Parts: sequence; structure tokens; C-alpha cells
Amino acid sequence: MPACGPWCILAAPWAVPGAIAMPRRYVQLDVFASRPGTGNPLGAVLDAEGLDTASMQAIAAWLNLSETVFFLPPDAGADYRIRIFTPGSELPFAGHPSVGAAWLATTHGLATPRDGRLVQQCAAGLLPAEVHGDPLRPGIRLRSPRGRLLDASPGTLPAELATIAQAGHAVELWSNGPSWWLIEAASAEQLRRLQPDFGAIAGWTNATSATGVALFAFETSSAHQLAVRAFCPGDAVNVPEDPVTGSANALIAARLHREGRLPGQAGRYVASQGRELGRDGRVALQVDAEGDVWIGGEVQQVIAGTLDW
Amino acid sequence: MSQRRYVQLDVFASRAGAGNPLAVVLDAEGLDDAQMQAIAKWTRLPETTFVLPPVSDDATHRIRIFSPRREVPFAGHPSVGTAHALLDAGLAVPRDGFLVQDGIAGKLPLKVSGEGSERTIAVRTPRARVQEIATPDDSRLRDALAGLQLGTLPPVLMDGGRRWWLAELANETELRNAQPNWNAIVELANATESMGLFVYARSDDPVYYYAVRAFVGAPAQFEDAASGAANATLAAWLAERGALPDLPGGFYRVSQGREVGHDAIIELSIDADGDVWSGGRAVAVVTGTLDWPG
Repeated sequence: MPACGPWCILAAPWAVPGAIAMPRRYVQLDVFASRPGTGNPLGAVLDAEGLDTASMQAIAAWLNLSETVFFLPPDAGADYRIRIFTPGSELPFAGHPSVGAAWLATTHGLATPRDGRLVQQCAAGLLPAEVHGDPLRPGIRLRSPRGRLLDASPGTLPAELATIAQAGHAVELWSNGPSWWLIEAASAEQLRRLQPDFGAIAGWTNATSATGVALFAFETSSAHQLAVRAFCPGDAVNVPEDPVTGSANALIAARLHREGRLPGQAGRYVASQGRELGRDGRVALQVDAEGDVWIGGEVQQVIAGTLDW
Repeated sequence: MSQRRYVQLDVFASRAGAGNPLAVVLDAEGLDDAQMQAIAKWTRLPETTFVLPPVSDDATHRIRIFSPRREVPFAGHPSVGTAHALLDAGLAVPRDGFLVQDGIAGKLPLKVSGEGSERTIAVRTPRARVQEIATPDDSRLRDALAGLQLGTLPPVLMDGGRRWWLAELANETELRNAQPNWNAIVELANATESMGLFVYARSDDPVYYYAVRAFVGAPAQFEDAASGAANATLAAWLAERGALPDLPGGFYRVSQGREVGHDAIIELSIDADGDVWSGGRAVAVVTGTLDWPG
């Protein structure tokens, strides 16, 4: 952690054992971000032991971030354990919280990677993470739960989505926990200009029991190869367009791999998401020899201190 | 230097989670408007404030208040919460029991009472005016008030910087059980360039005198957990009608936010000049630093 002068004295009382209402270490990250403000924020309580489920849910609601993670002592076989909460519910797994958690476990000494590997325990089970590069600013890759194509008919698409859908490519429902309709857009220009009708999208995704819809288009740039936008107005009323979405990007990679159309080189590419919301998120995707999708990206630590609850 | 002292507080609350959240960047010097707006968007809280050195001679600090979308000239809970944060950090010292903040709305005094967890801070709110007194069957109000058992005072549009429709309900039970008609409230807010509908009712509770609920119809649609400035317009309205409670200590308390999972207490008082003061306690939840490249 960078030196922070006298403020560190104020921020250090978590070290006092046995104190009542002990302040807990708290960090707020920007995940999939090359600089603060461009990615997806994540709250993290680094020592959550003693907090019950209701308190975790209340803290996540109060912080109002798309997700907050709580670190707990892991069971055997895992290096660290997290519970993931949105403001409204607990999630078994989510991509951006897991990438942020692996980064925190490494940089805050909560776990020690062995040969660059960590095992994360969360409600969805044990998930391997890979840590590489500078230990103070490590690169993180996390194996996403297997995505699968669901047998579902999209029915009638909202009009503005039907308009930009690439002819000849199916609208498919995929799931790796959350389920996303995947639509290939005819061009990145059209995708970036799209003005979504959230009411129509919410009606469609709710009627088809989907978390949301993710659109993608190939886009050639020095920094990325795919443009992505993800809408989930039926699932999260306050965040109708998600700034950067780990799960949806992993499913798009799984689909493109299945179709033999992965962009980039050697199964690796970078997706750009969030520009239409004033962000500039970047998700690094890789599909390995077993067909597993790994997601990663840069992480920025924005807020560091303590939380009193 | 990009490490700035940062606090996230719960305002109008005596325990974390009960009030209205606020982010405060305690040393905001060097941040430009775009950076402040970007930070306020990133925190995802109703408001984020930035503390700067005062410009007037007798002010203790200058404050800028941003919602995730825009800069706000004045708001009650950010002013009160920022003052609490400044005192907690030892960055300001009350003079004769007062802090003075500079801001877009001008110079405003903040009255500091009590100490430690008992400390309350109240801000003198900009003068609120009666804009229009209406009847419950007014075509603009009818749908928003439909099904609610009203009290004796007529509905009124108050202007205290932001405009609110105030409506008295018959009793606290009626208020707690009220189901907002959101479509009608959004329409009312848009048609009258107001925030929406603020309902209030007398209570028999020993702690608070009124219970209130604030239904914001524009720019977003939500029920507010604790509204400092809206409650100040209610105090001005009660004063106008000679309906202010006659209570010892010169202030009354309001309960707000239970219906949205909070439990805020706001203190209101009116001074000899007829100015309304709105305030309460605050608890620091997150204390640390913010690292935002300059």
C-alpha cells in the first residue's frame, strides 16, 4: 500500500483485537479499468468474520455498488473465501467481483499464490485464479464457470435490437449462472449508437426468464477486438445498462469459441465495454485448450480505509 | 499528490444504515469540475461533497455538492454530513458553536450542539416560500392523492430551492401504509417542475412529532430515505399556518425512511428571524483515502 502519512494512524485501529464494533478493513476498487472511473466499482470488506448474512446484505445495500464482497476464512482446499452481494441479494458467482477479490487477496496479503495460482471459494464452489506480473499491481485471470447454450426460443425481439442484429446469426440464450441472450450486431458503429428501449428489453428478458441481453460486434482497434454492451433492466432497475460485465463477456467468448470465430490471437482477445456510459472498461478473455473461458483485467484501488458497522 | 482523505457517512442517523448516505472528499483542492462529477458518479451515492478552503473571511470551509448527474446548489444532508466529517477529522473548529460554509447558495451557518455520538449539526436552510395552495381535487394532484386519507391542512407547493408538493395525511398509520401511485407522482413532478410529493402526519411517538415520506418523481423515481431540505419546507409551511408544534428546546423531530429500510431522525427548528434550521446526527461508516489521479 502506498504511504499515506498521518492518516494511516487513523485508519489502523482494526489491528486492535477484541474491540467492540471493531472497524474492518474496507477497500473500493474499479475493476476492468485502466484508470479510476472507467471500469466497474466493487466494494470489499477484507475481514468480514462475525458479520451475519443480514448485516452483509445491509452493508451492500447501503454502499449501493453493483457488488460488494466479504472476505471470510476459507475451508480446506481454498486460499480465500468470499461472499458476493448486490444491493438486493447474494450471488453464487460473478466475474468482476471475483477478479477484484483475487487482486485484493494478492495485494493485501490475504492469500499467497503458489506458482501463480490461487483457489477462490465462493457459493458457486472452488474456482482457480491465476496471478502474474508485479505483486503490487498483479494481472489476474479467473476461470469462469462453464457456459452452456440453453434450449430457448427468443420469440419476438424488441424492435431496435432486431434492427441491428447481424443477419444469419442466431439469437442464443447462454448461462454460466446468470443467463444472457447473446446477439451479434451487424457493426460496432450501430452497436455503439444504439439507444435502447429499456421498457421493451425488460419485458422481453423477463418473459424469457433471462438476466439480460448482451450485444457484441467485431471492432478492430489497437486495444481491443470486440465491442460489447449489456442490458439488464428487468434484473437491476437502477443499473439498466451494466458498465462492464464479466459473466456476459465469458459467455460471448464461449459462443465464439464454439463457432470457431474467436477474434485476437491464440484464443486471447480484449473486449471494450461501457463507453456509452462514460466508462471505458476492458475485459481480457482467453479460451484454453479444454474450452474453458478465463476472464481478467486491470484493477485500480480507489478507496482504502476502514468500515464501521 | 492524489491521496485525499475520504469519508462515507450516514446522515440523520445514530446507527449505520439508518440514514441517508453521503461521500465526502475532505481535501478536494486541485480537482476540476469534471473530476468532481466523475467521482460523484463513481461513488453511486445520492450526493458527494468536496471540501475546499473558504473564500469569505468568516467562513470555515467551502463546499461543492454533486449528485451522480450534476452539481447541486444546496442540499441539507450533504451540508450537515460534511460538517460532521470536518469536525471528526479535526479540520474545522466551531466558533461560538457555529461553522460557516461557503457554497453556491451563499454563506450558510451550521449550528453545532452536543459532543461525540450525541453531537447534532443543523444548517440554516435557504428561505422557503409558499408557491401555491391547492385543493385535493386539483386535476394535477387528484391521482397522486387518490386513496389517501388527508389531514386538515391543504396541499401546498413549496419552493426551498427545490420545489415539493406537501400533503398532510390523517395519521401516522395512514402515512406508513401509503402506497405511492408512481405514475401520478412522476406526472405531477414533471407537470409542475417539482421533485414530487412529500406527505406528512402527526405522530404520538415520544421521540418524533411528525412522520414523513418523500416520493421523488423527477429526475429519478424513488422514495428518499432522509430529506433535509424538504423537511425544512414543511417547517416553513407549518410556521406560515401557525401550526408549528410548541415544544421545549425549540425544535421538533421528524421520522423518515422506515418504509425503504432506513430509520432517519431529522431535527427542525425555527429561529427568531423565522429561518428554518434542519439537522441531526451522523455516523462515519467508511474512513480512509481516495486515490483519484489529478
